[in-house]
This record gives sequence, C-alpha cells and structure tokens, in this order.
Amino acid sequence: MSKTVTIVRNVLEANERRAATLKDYFDGKKILCLNLMSSPGAGKTSLLERTLVDLKGEFKMAVIEGDLQTDNDARRVAATGAQAVQVNTEGGCHLDSSMIEDAIAVLDMDGLDILFIENVGNLVCPAEFNLGEDHKVSILSVTEGDDKPEKYPLMFHLSSVMLLNKTDLLPYVDFSLEAASAHAKKLNKDIEIFPVACRTQEGLEPWYDWLRKARAGKR
Amino acid sequence: MHELSLIQSMIEIIREERAKHGMERILRVRVVNGALSGAVSDALAFGWECLTSEGELKGVALEVIDQPLRVACGSCGLEFVPEDNHYMPCPACEEILGHDIISGKELYIEEIEADLSENTGEAAASGSAACPKP
Repeated sequence: MSKTVTIVRNVLEANERRAATLKDYFDGKKILCLNLMSSPGAGKTSLLERTLVDLKGEFKMAVIEGDLQTDNDARRVAATGAQAVQVNTEGGCHLDSSMIEDAIAVLDMDGLDILFIENVGNLVCPAEFNLGEDHKVSILSVTEGDDKPEKYPLMFHLSSVMLLNKTDLLPYVDFSLEAASAHAKKLNKDIEIFPVACRTQEGLEPWYDWLRKARAGKR
Repeated sequence: MHELSLIQSMIEIIREERAKHGMERILRVRVVNGALSGAVSDALAFGWECLTSEGELKGVALEVIDQPLRVACGSCGLEFVPEDNHYMPCPACEEILGHDIISGKELYIEEIEADLSENTGEAAASGSAACPKP
C-alpha cells in the first residue's frame, strides 16, 4: 500500500535560511542592505555611481555587483572610490544568498553604513531570491514602457521603492509616470516612487532622503 | 528561467523526506505553484523530466497544482480571485489599488506519495498506479 505523506516545504527554503542568517549578520553590524533590481540597461549602475559620489561624505558604502559576465560594472563603481566586488553568475539569471556569503567574505564590512547589491538585470527571477536585504529597490526606465509593473508584478510587489529613471527622455517616449505608478500600487500601496534622471542628476534628492531615513532606521 | 535549479532544490528536499519517513519507493510528488511565484509550471514539468530521466526518481510523477492569485481588496477588504493578474478591480467596491496578496506567491512541495518501508513487498507490486490524480 502506498501512503501520501504531507510535506509542505518551500522549494526555496535553503536560500531562505541563508538569507535569514545574512539578515541577522547585517542587523548585527547595523548595515543597511539594499537589493537593486531592474531590466538590463535600466540604470542600476548609473544610479549607484551617482549615489556613491553624492553621499560619499555621509556614508561608508560598498557594492556587490552581480552580472552574467565581465567586471565592467564593478570597475565603474570602484572608480567612485567605493569598495566593490564582482559576482559573475556565468549565465545564472539571479543572485542567491550563497553568492552574497562569498562576496561579503572579501569585502571589509567593518563600519559599513550601506551595502548595495546590484542584482542581475532581469525583472523575473531575482525577485524570488531573498538575499538578506532590508529592502528591495526596483528601477524602471521610461524607455521600457509604463506597463512593466503590471507585467512583472512580483518584483514591484516586493519592492519598497521604485525609481523611474531616465525622466530626461520623457519628451521622446510614450511613458506615463502616473500609469507606471498606478500599476505598481495595485499590489503594493506603500511603494515609494521617485522619478529620477541619473544622467542629468535630476530628482535624486528624494531618493537620498529615503536612504538617509532607511539608514537611520538601522541604528 | 531557473526552473532546473528549483527542481534540484526539490530533489534535495525529497531525499531528506524520503529518509525521514522511510519511503521505499516514491510514486508521486505534488507541488503547489502560485500564479506570481515566477516559476512556470510547464518549465517545472520539463525540468523534472530532465533531472529524473534516470536514477532513484525515474518514472516518478510530478503533479503541479497551479494556485491562482487571491487578494484582499485594499479598500473594503473583500477577498477575491482577480479575473486577470493585470487589471483587478474589487467586485464589491471597484477599488483597483493597494490589494493585499493572500495567496499566489508560493512554491512548495505539498505531499509525496510513496511506499513506506513497513509494507514494502505488497506495495512494490502495485507499482503502476502512479498516475497523478486531478
């Protein structure tokens, strides 16, 4: 006779366990950890470059750069003077917690205020893997279309912040900030939305204020 | 895109449960996949086929149960299943923003059907009854 055994175990439990350990570690060190997610080319690295330069005097910051290949982004980020470590997933579509464990082993974590994790450019898979972060931050650029929060609901549902980047291109594209915001708020009414243009450095102050508040919350 | 690695994680869990419950032969595994989990049911089935084409789980049926998105209205709190995952007005008050997700994000192994070690002989003989139930 066969018997059915009830299991109910999360398929991602191994990652969840590791993420919880990382979260405890970041909490213990009072480090604000942010998981940045977007499509390829939405401006994650540009946002980091600006943020790292503009808030250099206020915070000690480090970056974990996730990419399929190359260390181009880590070099761009390191040029700002911040610590950066590259994680190449060799084709993998997302970062998982074990990769973060490896990355923090080579970073100097002492006295760090903010750790940014730049996830692999992808609107689907990264959202499923917690990395021990305090907040997920999604970046959507106006050239991608304002329906993206509707098409990729999980990522925008889980994010505390959505940055709408490249607003300097708004006159040239059919993108409605209102429509994008409304789509994101359908399943996440508390999401904070900041329109920014990293290239022209517009609109960044509200994002920086949010960072200051989030950082203060970790003390 | 990463369903193969999800299947690998599942196989690890199945191995642990097999040892824990003394399962001799596994017949069927049921997985619940939420509409927003990010994993595609067909790709899970395909990944399962690839990774169990030989070895201890060869021939084991994977049953994937699709769990629809279920939300509570952000305004009046009514629980409902949206007709589509994009435009989801509350059937009672028509609110479209701020719904809370009740279910639809999950991806978990719900149950495993197997022959347990205390009654192996008889069960192994009834082998081919491993078809997934609806």
